[in-house]
Amino acid sequence: MLSSIEKVVFVIVALIALGVSFHGFWMIVFTVRQGRPAPELKNIPGSLLRAAWRVLLQQTIFRARPALSAVHLALFFGLITYAFVNLFDVLEGFVAGFDLTYGGRHMTAIFLPSGVVNAFNLISDLMSGALLVAIVVFLVRRFGVRDRRLQFREQVLLHPKVRAGAQHTDSLIVGVFVIMHVTAHLLTQAFRLTEGPDPFMPLASLLNAWLGPSEVGMHVAWWVSLGWVLFILAYIPPSKHTHFFLAPINLGLAKQTPRGQLDPAIPLKVIQGQTFEPGAKHIYDLAWTRLLDAYACVQCNRCQDVCPAHAYGRPLSPAALEVNKRYLLKDATFGGRLQVLQQPLTETAISPEAVWSCTTCYACVRVCPVGNEPMADIVDIRRRLIVDGAPLDSGVQSALQSLATNGNWMGKSKRLRGRWAKEMDFPIKNALEEPVEYLWFVGDTASFDERVIPNTKMTARVFYQAGLDFGILYQHESNAGNDVRRVGEEGLFEQLVERNLQVFGQAQFQRIVTTDPHSLNTLKNEYPQFGGAFEVKHYTAVLVKLFEEGRLKVKKPLDHYKVTFHDPCYLGRYNGGFAAPRRLLNLLGVEFHEMPRNCENSFCCGAGGGQIWMSKVAPGERPAENRIREALSTLEKFPNGKKQLFIVTCPKDMIMYSDAVKTTGSEGRIEVRDLIQLVAEAIGIEEAQVVAIAA
Amino acid sequence: MNIVVVLKHIPSVADELPVRGNQVDFDSVDFVLNEWDEQSLEQAALIKEALGGTVTAIGVDVIGELDNLLHLALAKGADRAVKIAADDAGADSHRQAKWLSEAIRPMAPDLVLVGVQASNDIDGQLGPLLAAYLDLPYIGVVSSIEVQDGTALMNKEFAGGFGARYSVRLPFVAGVQVAPKPPRYAPVSKIRQIAQTAKIEVLEPSGEADSGLVFRKVAPPVVSGHAEMIEGSPKEIAARLVALLKERGLA
Ligand code: SF4
Ligand code: SF4
Repeated sequence: MLSSIEKVVFVIVALIALGVSFHGFWMIVFTVRQGRPAPELKNIPGSLLRAAWRVLLQQTIFRARPALSAVHLALFFGLITYAFVNLFDVLEGFVAGFDLTYGGRHMTAIFLPSGVVNAFNLISDLMSGALLVAIVVFLVRRFGVRDRRLQFREQVLLHPKVRAGAQHTDSLIVGVFVIMHVTAHLLTQAFRLTEGPDPFMPLASLLNAWLGPSEVGMHVAWWVSLGWVLFILAYIPPSKHTHFFLAPINLGLAKQTPRGQLDPAIPLKVIQGQTFEPGAKHIYDLAWTRLLDAYACVQCNRCQDVCPAHAYGRPLSPAALEVNKRYLLKDATFGGRLQVLQQPLTETAISPEAVWSCTTCYACVRVCPVGNEPMADIVDIRRRLIVDGAPLDSGVQSALQSLATNGNWMGKSKRLRGRWAKEMDFPIKNALEEPVEYLWFVGDTASFDERVIPNTKMTARVFYQAGLDFGILYQHESNAGNDVRRVGEEGLFEQLVERNLQVFGQAQFQRIVTTDPHSLNTLKNEYPQFGGAFEVKHYTAVLVKLFEEGRLKVKKPLDHYKVTFHDPCYLGRYNGGFAAPRRLLNLLGVEFHEMPRNCENSFCCGAGGGQIWMSKVAPGERPAENRIREALSTLEKFPNGKKQLFIVTCPKDMIMYSDAVKTTGSEGRIEVRDLIQLVAEAIGIEEAQVVAIAA
Repeated sequence: MNIVVVLKHIPSVADELPVRGNQVDFDSVDFVLNEWDEQSLEQAALIKEALGGTVTAIGVDVIGELDNLLHLALAKGADRAVKIAADDAGADSHRQAKWLSEAIRPMAPDLVLVGVQASNDIDGQLGPLLAAYLDLPYIGVVSSIEVQDGTALMNKEFAGGFGARYSVRLPFVAGVQVAPKPPRYAPVSKIRQIAQTAKIEVLEPSGEADSGLVFRKVAPPVVSGHAEMIEGSPKEIAARLVALLKERGLA
């Protein structure tokens, strides 16, 4: 079809475009390699294949926004089809006699059977329509409806180009590309139809009926269609649309260690002659996998949607962090502005206030369709801020100081840790003095906080009644260090781990049980790295077992309660402990209603990652208040006069939500209870029995 | 600038103080750094950052665990650490001041900073005693010390919400109430690193002093009587208050 001159011109332009594109990707590879070593990835081909499969099924995007995800699905398959469409378009241009119209009837040689050609024509014709619809939906969403989820808040630190709307320009370019490219391709086909409509090319036939065949039109449309492809090839590497290629790769190289295990503050892999400071100050202090995150980021803001700190109105957006990283790298690699890399991340990518607002709830990482870990960057930035002596919130500082001296964050004397146990009317074993089956790791809040101690005692009583062989460490337990590590105080974390491991070494036990999901997380996922691998169970799992073994029995079903349940981040999202609490609620016979945000999509109470230590309370609706409102609207959909309860299984939740019930003025409408209170009531332990002992 | 900062290791009052015989039972209580010493340490570090010089942290090692505090001080900006190995948990301010003065005098400091008080020295005697033994002037309850050409400017607080600004010629002893900035945080990794490499100079206590006080009996305060919580509307509360005041002949 093409003339010789056209062919030469096309080849030259194509070579240039491919060269630019290749150079772009090479720059990305070069940039990513500047990052620090990442934790070792196992079986990379395997996980890349798995990622490819998940991308093909578009699994990861359906974690949120189902309707828009369906539109993306159309776009995705449309573009995949178009890879072949473009290939055939090139063949049609270059190979004389290669013509797919009318089932390939005009082919001078038989390249493909007509059935295949017709099927392909139909698919590509329909996909062209789907692509046009999908891209229009996305363009309308961004530029017409101006979906607020695609925007950033005023106080969020943004790269100047992003603030000026560079992302929108990027989207517009690709939007225009898809529309022009697809339309031009359809026109090429339409102008080709010299013998009336082709039933396997309905859209092209429609255009043909209107415009008729045209040799000149065919040439022009062909050039427009493929010219765009060449342009886009060159344009992709520096644009946000690198995700076409890098998202699947990033997903294949995503975190392989347990969710609850943070990467070390200093890479474990020793590279000759290289020493590393802990954590991250500059962008190249991040692991290479997290530089790749920035290129893979779709800039979809799903992570921002689920971020509790963002919902609270804090200046934190995990998406903005990735986007800023991306523009920084772009400035450096494509813009020649290397000096931007010498500026601290806290000035270029995320404000210190945002860094300190993260609750380390993992929601952003969980929801990200391309396997990004903005939270891990935040923790690394905290680590370096701490080492560099940056100013700390006074509450965090005194918590850390108390942890270093007293082993608890509350400034209480070590000796008081076991006081609650001494107030019980039955002896609680000291696991350092006699062997026990279950070592109960009580944790700070459950040991010291007056508001939670009644639940701690209740748990002891239930264990006792079930005949569980358990003991505690009394004053020898130290905070497990989960939140210490997440606040970035790696040295103190290590110190706490050493102290606990030393004590564990002197105790005799078979497994650990705890009511505290935070302790559970680090004991289970992080202590093994320090040489302490134990079986660690949450009390809800132990209680299920006790019921199943018949050691606990429901005496009076609690059908007078209507309850909802909050999944604590560190039990649920981090450690998959979704089933046990629900099983217990079921056994107890309460009327149970699930909140819209549950299980993997649970909404953080706002206490984690050191937030509970902060002395300053920001204005705005706190995450816990937001959650109480969610619970109320869930339960009040079923009016029946039963008492409404908000069930928690984490000592910190007890505090956060009891407060939130008060501050939202919801007393009398809903009450916060630990699951153990329901268990105790159902098996016939009176609250008075436990409280009386304390008095 | 040659600054000396005195650190006191004192029984923690986070816990109820256990009593044995006529003394606090020092064996079953945690010892902590006096919280006002954190302020004087921060103040010293800030002056050093502004003017250069050295900060020497010194303290009486009453229970043999002062090293931890000295490492902390080094991590927060002290350059030199000295301990007086006394192993005398009950050493009072007189005795400690005497020992400290003997150790500090040869250092010829420009400025000696102590915490204005401690929970085992509520009337803040350590500073004045030390100054007397060193034959230096003393000024207490001060904040925001700034040094310029051989004199120091500072704020001093008085009872009743009054304050004054003082200018004092070096050298002198100051009892620090509060530093201009909250005390910095010393990351544990840094403290641990210092603990492995730092040298702590050890001195023997020298000199004798005694408050002359004898403990006859030490006991926790006896709770007698209770507060009455007045509840009700503001009107009812006001009425009850008036009634009470009349009842006691106060109105
Ligand atoms: S971990 Fe949670 S709080 Fe932190 S950035 Fe991610 S979503 Fe936000
Ligand atoms: S980090 Fe992930 S979820 Fe967040 S904007 Fe980027 S791609 Fe979307």
